[in-house]
Amino acid sequence: MTALVFIYLGGVLILIGTAGILRFNDVYSRLQASGVSDNVGLTLLLVGLILRGGWEGGDWAILLLTALLLATNPVATHSIAKSAFVQEHAEKKER
Amino acid sequence: MIGPVEIAILVSIGAILIRLGLGPTAWDRLLAYNSAANRIVGVLAIAAVTSQESVFLDIAIVYLSLSFLGVVVLARFLERGGSFR
Repeated sequence: MTALVFIYLGGVLILIGTAGILRFNDVYSRLQASGVSDNVGLTLLLVGLILRGGWEGGDWAILLLTALLLATNPVATHSIAKSAFVQEHAEKKER
Repeated sequence: MIGPVEIAILVSIGAILIRLGLGPTAWDRLLAYNSAANRIVGVLAIAAVTSQESVFLDIAIVYLSLSFLGVVVLARFLERGGSFR
């Protein structure tokens, strides 16, 4: 029951992030919507998948996947944001 | 029981591909690609749990690492003033 709550909450957060990516009108707003809701939603989904079958046989692969997602996704989002910011200001300086 | 969540994530991948197609700048496309890759990892994890095949989890780990590498490399390429034209 708890696992289903986690999984469905993750699915709802992922749908909210999709609506944000589609509807916002700026790169940074879209990065905010994608970076926050993807991270929380997918982490909730994977934790729910671990809780669903119990810890039998060891779900080390899903745990490793969760840790890898939590380590890489903020770095990728920050990298895209820094790239957009630096390039926008470089274009302004050239004019 | 978790079939509706999988279908919802697949629908959201399809909606994100719209942003990948008509994003005004290159960073919009990069961000849409990053989000689509994360959702594909979630779908692979759900498929691994429902079908009891742990191979999908290994595929998901490798896919996440390679997509992270691609996004960071493309962001650095655009930051240094590269363009795709």
